Amino acid sequence: MTSPVPVSDVREAVGSHHCWGFDDRAALEFRARPFLRAGLAAGERVWFVTADAVEPVARRWSGAEPFGSALRDGSARVLSVTADYVDGPVEPSAQVEAFAGALAEALAAGHTGLRVVADATALVRTPAQRQAYGRYEYLVDRFMAGRPVTGVCAFDRRELDTGTFGELACLHPCGDSGGVAFRVHASAPADGALVLSGELDTAGQAPFAVALRRAAPRPVDGEIVVDATGLRFVDHRALRVLEEYARERGATVVLRGPVSSTAGLVTMLGLACVRVEPAS
Amino acid sequence: MTVGHLHEALLYDSDEHFLSVLVPFLIEGVAAGQPTVVSYGPHRAALLRRALPAGSPVEFLDGGRTYAGPAGAIRAYRDLLGGLVAAGATRIRVAGELDPSVFGVRWDWWARYESAVNHAYDEFPLWTMCSYDTRVTPERVLDDIRRTHARIAGEPNATYTPPETFLREPRGAPQDPLRRGTPLLDLLDPSPAGARHAVRDAGLGHLDETDLENLVLSVSEAVTNASKYGVPPVRVRCWAGGHRVLVAVGDAGAGPTDPFVGLLPVVSGEPGGLGLWITFQSCSNVVLSRDGDGFTLWMAAGPPDAVE
Repeated sequence: MTSPVPVSDVREAVGSHHCWGFDDRAALEFRARPFLRAGLAAGERVWFVTADAVEPVARRWSGAEPFGSALRDGSARVLSVTADYVDGPVEPSAQVEAFAGALAEALAAGHTGLRVVADATALVRTPAQRQAYGRYEYLVDRFMAGRPVTGVCAFDRRELDTGTFGELACLHPCGDSGGVAFRVHASAPADGALVLSGELDTAGQAPFAVALRRAAPRPVDGEIVVDATGLRFVDHRALRVLEEYARERGATVVLRGPVSSTAGLVTMLGLACVRVEPAS
Repeated sequence: MTVGHLHEALLYDSDEHFLSVLVPFLIEGVAAGQPTVVSYGPHRAALLRRALPAGSPVEFLDGGRTYAGPAGAIRAYRDLLGGLVAAGATRIRVAGELDPSVFGVRWDWWARYESAVNHAYDEFPLWTMCSYDTRVTPERVLDDIRRTHARIAGEPNATYTPPETFLREPRGAPQDPLRRGTPLLDLLDPSPAGARHAVRDAGLGHLDETDLENLVLSVSEAVTNASKYGVPPVRVRCWAGGHRVLVAVGDAGAGPTDPFVGLLPVVSGEPGGLGLWITFQSCSNVVLSRDGDGFTLWMAAGPPDAVE
């Protein structure tokens, strides 16, 4: 009864925040190499964050130019997700600050930016980890927007069921969608707090409710502004999710530029905490 | 306080006949201090304004806007009546008339309206007078009017059929001329997203953006309901012509069981009831038909007058 719905990338691939699913770690390395090679070619500092022991991975990468010389001169690094990156649930704000520090260092060292592929599976194994990581995804996405930084959160599909992967994938503006037909992520602060794109229907109701609560956008002056210009469909279920989220925070969700049926739907349902505005 | 909806029809055959019933009905309401509301097109509204004493506090609503669609009319009237009762009204009078353009292919869902309001307004202390001009009202429409109004011309009506019975009677497919053509789409078991994309593509160039998105929303709800609560296979057909599009979403099941489904938002916990209520307010005509193959929801979009 279902057919996959393609959900397109929202931003340019470079300078953005991607999700990848992988089935074995060798395949992840295989996919990461051309991606990070392109970063080196563009003068970026590149990191590969692995769930394996660092040494064997670094040895493998050393044999593949240009990574051998890049690892030697510090343009490239292989890090351990648990030892070097984080252990336990991420602390979302601190993790974003660490990322900002790494970017500043890369720029100070003369690089044009920072590009990271990280196997983040170890950070999302428990519900508490996923809750924290979801908030981190939202905050780091806002940090990345407009900065010379490109990040890939890679997840081992063998360790996460499809629903769990989809709930994480939809928090990225680019990359694998995990079968989820919408994306929910941050935007540069001047553009509002949240970007919704793709299609939100009955299949998306549960993952959307989860993703929104993990991203946890906070109202500014009583409003949570949502850029919905890329939202091709939204039904009453998703609007109710937004209404409930806004009501709990004593705020109003302002949907900017959704499909033309949305305003009528908001009126019909008598939603008091959702307002529809045309795209500016 | 008198509670309950007294639903009366006036079948008139001249302006004089119309005024001879309506004017006393309204004046008595005003004299008793009852909120008195009328909803007519421009011609009848002008007749009434001239015939009523100057300064009569009768509220005139735009009939075309009030009666754009049955579920929206019920929603608007229920909001209005609820507000009047909250403000202290103990009896309310409403008179109104449907535009004769609804007596064609759209009559089925307006007949459902006339039946459903016996229930939908019954919590209010309300007396409604639905006027019909017999010179322009087809006999099959008059038959339904006689079955959906508890009183006609001041007398109890023996042919009145309660909505729980009337609304459950099987209805056939709409006699929409678009059905004479070959469907542009004939999909078997599409996902809601697949059906949305196909109908959006088929409707482009026929409907304006809002009508098209409203139809897409309706199709999405219909396919969701058919897939979740119906019996496979789910079949989606779509016809288009001029500025109109017709979509049929069918399944092999019996369809929703609640007689008020689509007309009221919450109906006895019927699954999918909210989606159908939204559909009723998002299309220019909706028909629920049943035959040997199962249940089909017919949804039309675009200017309804084009087919009358």
